[in-house]
Amino acid sequence: MFDFLLHIISIAGIYALIAVGLNIQSGYAGLLNFGQIAFAGIGAYAVGIGAHLGCSPLLSIPAGMVLAMAVGLLMAGLGGKLAADYWGIATLAVAEIIRTLAFNEDWLTGGPQGISGIVMPFDAGGQRADNLLFAGVIMGLLALAAIISQRMSRRRFGRALRLMREQPQLAVCFGYQIPALKRTALVVSAALTAFAGSLLAFYTGYVSPDYLLSSESFIIWSMVMIGGLGNVYGVVAGALLVQCLYSFIPFAKDLIDINTDIAGALRLGAVGAILLACLLGRPGGLFPERLRKIP
Amino acid sequence: MLQFILDTLIRTADLALIAVGLSLVYGLVKFPNIAHVQYAMIGAFISGYLLRAGAPLWLAGVLSCALIGLLAVLLHHLVFRRLLRSGPAHGMIGALAVSMILIALVLGSAGSAPLTYALTVSRAWAWGDALISPAQIGSIAITGLLLMLFTLLLFKTSLGRSIRALAGNRELAAASGLNADAITNGVNFLSGALAALGGTLLAMNTSAYVNQGNDLLLPILAAAILGGLGNPLGAVVGALLIAATETLVISFDFSGLSWGLFSFVPVTYINAASFIILIITLLLRPYGLFHREVHRV
Repeated sequence: MFDFLLHIISIAGIYALIAVGLNIQSGYAGLLNFGQIAFAGIGAYAVGIGAHLGCSPLLSIPAGMVLAMAVGLLMAGLGGKLAADYWGIATLAVAEIIRTLAFNEDWLTGGPQGISGIVMPFDAGGQRADNLLFAGVIMGLLALAAIISQRMSRRRFGRALRLMREQPQLAVCFGYQIPALKRTALVVSAALTAFAGSLLAFYTGYVSPDYLLSSESFIIWSMVMIGGLGNVYGVVAGALLVQCLYSFIPFAKDLIDINTDIAGALRLGAVGAILLACLLGRPGGLFPERLRKIP
Repeated sequence: MLQFILDTLIRTADLALIAVGLSLVYGLVKFPNIAHVQYAMIGAFISGYLLRAGAPLWLAGVLSCALIGLLAVLLHHLVFRRLLRSGPAHGMIGALAVSMILIALVLGSAGSAPLTYALTVSRAWAWGDALISPAQIGSIAITGLLLMLFTLLLFKTSLGRSIRALAGNRELAAASGLNADAITNGVNFLSGALAALGGTLLAMNTSAYVNQGNDLLLPILAAAILGGLGNPLGAVVGALLIAATETLVISFDFSGLSWGLFSFVPVTYINAASFIILIITLLLRPYGLFHREVHRV
């Protein structure tokens, strides 16, 4: 039971990091990025390929982050003159192209089987101690990311992003460069998400094209929307809630006898139903963003 | 060459009906309904089960179209209409939630194994060195016929004129006495029914499976965007272009290009081809190939 809880904490922490990354774009800046998982996938593959070649994680993690930032710049470049919904579709296509590449370039990515045998970069003596340490590290990093993100949202950059989201023309009048703001938001978010992706690869010990499925992006979107778009702590809570559902349903599958298809359907259906209920009942999410009102 | 044209037509028939529906609804409600492809998937399953229950093919198809049309109207009323008040982004995420629920329903009730229609398999006809099965000819013919009827509806009847007026300027059309809600319902029903028919025709040649909707999502969006969202006939041309590219990527022998690296293109790259077209279109002509108006950006 303790190991199971530790697993939930670790995996929810990693997904919460990705969700905090998405929140910088979608929450603060109002960008509709449906290809967020591509950044995490790039981070995970960087670690996998690094482990395969025998590079130190100190080299492969930053390499993944830099590559993800480059992809973020490319996505921002697409957004030059597109409306939000069109841009969302374009990011979806970018992520699918990256997945197709990962699926086909066997010499680099191991093809459909992916890369396995990624070991954690430290040894605390024994499996359990390793997991405990890793969960601690993830929690620490998540707290750090949440606090930095929260601070950032209160500073000028965060205020500029929200202004761009609400009143783009006014933001231009104030002298903000909208494309530059979008680029910065995407690059920051890509770096954080790629880092979380590397942690995911270390935690699960392998990486495969399934990490890049567009349905993964949709799950992260559900976390952000259920928790509260634009509110970092709400987003973390949303990630925890969705990940608990995801981990408990296979657990319940063993308790009461249901087959794999029904368990999969329950997982997907539960997240979909909660997301829809939230959208209809509480459009701001469970913990809505509190906007400062000037009387 | 003949085989190339036939393959392109078959793929176009697969995509066109679904893309037309997506584009048509976009014209009225102004958000890309990504759950639309799931209607096709569910339609295919409903037809499959009706066939299993002993219904003739035409009856199964008609019933499935009617049911999915109703589903589309219901979802529009209960979900999308309310979400769209907060903007297209909420509509799209709502469509995502609806997709998850629909996939979950099918996965829970039908399982992940593909459902093949127990149709009598007839021999493929050889025509020169090209091969085509009667079912494929049937699906091309039905698609062509429906698209013609649809064009007549859109350009020759008063209902079609209302639809076009409403898509062009909603406020003005409503002010001139058009019943906007009734027309939106009608269009949603039509698009749902077309999607179900498209899904059924697709499944007739392969099989109905849970991920069919997800696999269709990007090619359909690519076709609809290529033709300009909101321009249903443009979507047909978009589907034709996507189909031609995909067929070209599969059948063209790239070994003539002396790069060595691309001596052949693996079949799994087919989809990437349409995504790349999608991105190039968005970069060069964001509102589709046939768009003349100037848009507020």
